[in-house]
Amino acid sequence: MRLLLIEDDDILGEGLRDFLTADGHRVDWCRTLQQVAAHEGEPYDALLVDWQLPDGSGLDWLRGRRRRGDTAPALMLTARDLLGDRIRGLDSGADDYLVKPFAPEELAARLRAVSRRIAGSADARRLIGDVEVDLAARTVWLTGQRVELTSREWAILEALLLRPGRIVTKADLERLVLGFAAEWASNAVEVHVAALRRKLGRAVVETVRGIGYRLGGGQ
Amino acid sequence: MKPLTPPSIRTRLTRALLVSSVLWIVAVAAAVWLTVHDEVDELLDDTLQAAAEGLRGPLSQPLAVEPAAAAVTPAASGSGRFAWQVVDHLAAGEARTVAASALAPAAPLRRVPSGGFSDSDEWRVFGIPLADGRRWLYVAQTHAERQEALAETALSAALATLAIALLAQVWLQAQIRHELLPLQRLAQHLGGRDPEDIGAALGAAERSELQPVHAAIDELTRRLALRLARERAFTGHAAHSLRTPLAGIDAQLAVALRESPADLQPRLQRVRTAARRLHRVVSALLTLFRSSAAVHPQELDVAEMIPRLAVEGLAFEFPDRLRLTADADLLAAALLNLFDNSLRHGASRVRLSLLDRNVLRVHDDGTGVRPEQRESLQTALGGRVDASVGGLGLLLVDLVARAHGGSLQLPAVEHGFAADLHLSPLQPAA
Repeated sequence: MRLLLIEDDDILGEGLRDFLTADGHRVDWCRTLQQVAAHEGEPYDALLVDWQLPDGSGLDWLRGRRRRGDTAPALMLTARDLLGDRIRGLDSGADDYLVKPFAPEELAARLRAVSRRIAGSADARRLIGDVEVDLAARTVWLTGQRVELTSREWAILEALLLRPGRIVTKADLERLVLGFAAEWASNAVEVHVAALRRKLGRAVVETVRGIGYRLGGGQ
Repeated sequence: MKPLTPPSIRTRLTRALLVSSVLWIVAVAAAVWLTVHDEVDELLDDTLQAAAEGLRGPLSQPLAVEPAAAAVTPAASGSGRFAWQVVDHLAAGEARTVAASALAPAAPLRRVPSGGFSDSDEWRVFGIPLADGRRWLYVAQTHAERQEALAETALSAALATLAIALLAQVWLQAQIRHELLPLQRLAQHLGGRDPEDIGAALGAAERSELQPVHAAIDELTRRLALRLARERAFTGHAAHSLRTPLAGIDAQLAVALRESPADLQPRLQRVRTAARRLHRVVSALLTLFRSSAAVHPQELDVAEMIPRLAVEGLAFEFPDRLRLTADADLLAAALLNLFDNSLRHGASRVRLSLLDRNVLRVHDDGTGVRPEQRESLQTALGGRVDASVGGLGLLLVDLVARAHGGSLQLPAVEHGFAADLHLSPLQPAA
């Protein structure tokens, strides 16, 4: 998943970025809302937002983002543990609320749970025709046989799985898979999609000509 | 020891009023007696004199009857309360009753001529001379009759005073009750007041005597609310300042555990375990500090709380339902400390059960403590807050129990260590 992490504490931010990156996510880490402004318009699979930031409130920022129609799953990461704060956080657009200190393993599990909910299923396993995908274990089977995917191939498949029935533009897919400020070859997405189709069958990814891609298998 | 009940203003005022009323009645009765005694005496003397003056005219005429037969009936005399005699004073101190009323004695009231008032053993007499100076008229009244009149007058006056005093007593009692009502209303108002509400003021007092009390309470409440607000703000900052670095330490350790060589991992894991203990203690302290202003009891099912509080390394046994009334955050803080205590004492299983209404037992299978150590811990918990109890955990749990009006008891158990959390039944928050 491509994640936007907004956390002003260096030790925590760095720890979470490294932990989630090691888990296979692409993490853009911002320490302030000013830094976040540079990422406006970027597509993210989930937002990890600290409430108290040096230049403003993460909660207000999230509320504004929701007003503008952003539906990306958001998790509040905060030291505020009062019932009233939790209610405010959830009412302001957060999909989940994690009180510090928390274990990064729990954050990763909640991310997976929130993503599953947003993708419309409580189960981490998905079927796309003959292809079975376990989002939690990051494993893929084709007609019962395990298939090894590169990290980029997995990232493309995951980005489409988390947006079932939706068309993902090529530009968004590039940014979701590689992250902010990365330089890709102009045909890199086509190359990785082609590789995915070779490994899992043509039907796994549909091309919507001139726009982008969509998860195949009638999803 | 049972606390002493303070004296009641109403009782004390009632008692003071009663004593003053009795003293007042006695004083008034004495004054009435003295006044009535003189006045009634004077009035009766005036009456005697007036009667004598009235009889003097008719009795100055020559009597047509013999002296012995000259008695006049009480009705004819005009009064049953007086007696009169017409006495002829002869030479050598002799006297003869010429005429007399029915109540008069047979013997002359006076042997020698006696004008004005005089007393004998039985009679009060008023004498005036008739026409020739030899014949005298004596109008008399018995002392017993005069005493009776005096007693009747005094009794009437005393009864009237007593009735007035009793009526005054009833009225004053009602007044005392009425005047103490503002105090009751003040107590009710204070009982429902939120100590954290800076803007809440009692306002104008119903009685001027209560105005300084209102002002003092308002000032005290304002200072308390400010202090609570400052403490709350401090707790918020403290929470952020403590929780964020702790989360950072855990995240860094989680990454380090993944990246480190195998021989370093046990050491890193121990550091992470210690860091998590620190999480629990800090969380409990923050919760306790923040909740010190007010306990918010509510109906809870501890069985639902356990999965959220579960501590790595401990297995839990508990019935499907563990319902009790407590402040959710404080109870969570207490349980976290007890679980932490269990872990530190080598426990792997913790059993939770309800012993009684609002008495929760947490029993682990750890090494426990020696009987004398358990007794020493219990004694320390029952003493002062700053007493040494061998660790912060049990002290925090005891503070939580005390915040609920209860206490922490450490019962003797055969295996492991048990703690009974007595949480007095409090009314659920509205």
